[in-house]
Amino acid sequence: MNDVEPIRLAQVSAGYGKRVVLDGLDLGIQQGTITAIVGPNGSGKSTVIRAMARLLPARNGVVLLDGQDIRSFGSRDIARLVSVLPQSPSSPPGLTVRELVELGRFPHTGLFGRLGAEGTLAVESALTLTSLTDFAERPLDELSGGERQRAWIALALAQGAGTLLLDEPTTFLDVRHQFEVLDLVASLCAKGGMTVVMVLHDLLHAANYADRVVVVDDGGIVADGAPSAVLTVELMRTVFGVAAQIFAEPESGRMICLPVGPRKS
Amino acid sequence: MTSARSFVALVLVAGMAAVALFILHLGLGTVWIPPDRVLAALLGGLTDSTDRTIVWDLRMPRAILGLLVGCMLGLSGALLQVVMRNRLAEPGLTGVSTGGILLAVLFLAGTWGLPQPGRLLPFVVLLGALAGGILVLFVSSARGGIDPLRLILTAVIVNAILGSLTAIVMLRSNYALGNILSWLIGSLHGRVWDDVWLALPWAAVGVAAGLLAARAANLLQLDDESGRALGLPLQPARVALFGLAAVLAAGAVSVSGAIAFVGLMAPNAARAIVGADARRVLPLAALIGCVLLLAADLVAQSFSIRPPIPSSAYRVGLPVGAVLAVFGAPLLIFLIRRSTR
Repeated sequence: MNDVEPIRLAQVSAGYGKRVVLDGLDLGIQQGTITAIVGPNGSGKSTVIRAMARLLPARNGVVLLDGQDIRSFGSRDIARLVSVLPQSPSSPPGLTVRELVELGRFPHTGLFGRLGAEGTLAVESALTLTSLTDFAERPLDELSGGERQRAWIALALAQGAGTLLLDEPTTFLDVRHQFEVLDLVASLCAKGGMTVVMVLHDLLHAANYADRVVVVDDGGIVADGAPSAVLTVELMRTVFGVAAQIFAEPESGRMICLPVGPRKS
Repeated sequence: MTSARSFVALVLVAGMAAVALFILHLGLGTVWIPPDRVLAALLGGLTDSTDRTIVWDLRMPRAILGLLVGCMLGLSGALLQVVMRNRLAEPGLTGVSTGGILLAVLFLAGTWGLPQPGRLLPFVVLLGALAGGILVLFVSSARGGIDPLRLILTAVIVNAILGSLTAIVMLRSNYALGNILSWLIGSLHGRVWDDVWLALPWAAVGVAAGLLAARAANLLQLDDESGRALGLPLQPARVALFGLAAVLAAGAVSVSGAIAFVGLMAPNAARAIVGADARRVLPLAALIGCVLLLAADLVAQSFSIRPPIPSSAYRVGLPVGAVLAVFGAPLLIFLIRRSTR
């Protein structure tokens, strides 16, 4: 375990045009953990991730990567430390899985773009970790939604960064593939020592896969801690505006958060 | 899509096709020179001096320009399709063809009566072409940079304006009309070594830089967020690739006029064959451009016509672009149908 946090946001404000989305946000991410960021639509949770990788530069405050001001890094330096999987990535028709994953080496290669031994190894191991070796030569547009999402995760892995930021990685996937992707992320963290920050819509997933849940509402953090401590009936009512039941599923002990209807005021 | 080995084989085949067409091109004309004598003239073996003169002085410039222009337009189209994220994009969308031709028409109308304005024309076209490219880039830039869709729309609009201005000037000066015709339809007739020297620097720099841009091109083909997350400065890359496409097209237009279709067909054929990876699409599009243009020009130079326009000074060949469309389009349609699942 490293004492230096891979990412820290200190008093960060960010927004689009005149709209302020994040207002003085403080958040430190611990090495080797899975942090889930949850919150209602428009709460600013995607913006948190975008600020972490400087896809949206902070207007005020400081973003620190490995303890250093993110403004002192070039774009390629950031890409070597932090991988981002956007919410709805797109690739040109006909691009194969391997070709996509090789793009992950961009921050590491020189003018002529030769992968080199290290790059080839990174691509192969990314394909292996995501169980895509058999699909490597297939065009992305021929794959199922779950396989395609794994390919994008493989691209992020080939980047060789220690931190992985995922923006709603389970959207558009059916239930089985949602678990498949989340299990993959969990194993990357457990076995590969990666630090993961993911925006999740589904609180059930946040409760069961994250070490820590950060609840964002209205551009600020309203709750932060272990899933069982954070996800409460009270929070469901005040932040998400629904009446919910929260209990442990008898067989597995997994935490279940069941919205039962709109908030009764 | 294809393995590394089969891609190399593909490049070799296309390269050999280009060489074969090049030799055939040097042999074909009013006097037919068989390939063995063309080779002898090229390599300086035992040949009679007539062969050497015909091959080196008369036919070589046109054949070399066929290679260069095809290569430049093929690569330009491939780059532009990446920048605009649209497979309908072609080099004319940079604004260089309409820009070059407008300035040429203005020049011809303004220099009426001067002796031999024709020799200056390539420089004038080049200037207008570069100005047209800069205009499109300038008009489509807005806060937040260049957006592919906005770039296409503004390019179409700028082209429409420049084309309309050209039409107005041409209607007012039928002297310009006769001289500009071969530029409008694109032709390699009567090209000399001076034209080669004019195009060569643009071709050399543009092709080298264009091929090196493959990595950036690959990231530009992804969504904006993914490209930036991988460390690509999106807007500078987009401007640079557009600039390259424009420079390549401008160099081509300055010596051949606005040859249509090759810049649309070559990249689409390349994509249909090797998929989407720019590291393969870009070089293959350049090579296919060479092959297509040489082949079409072989056909074009075999038929020449005198256009029925009063002030037309010379016979022109069939427009290479039209030959390409007639013979190449079915091939392209076949490739696209086969590759689309």
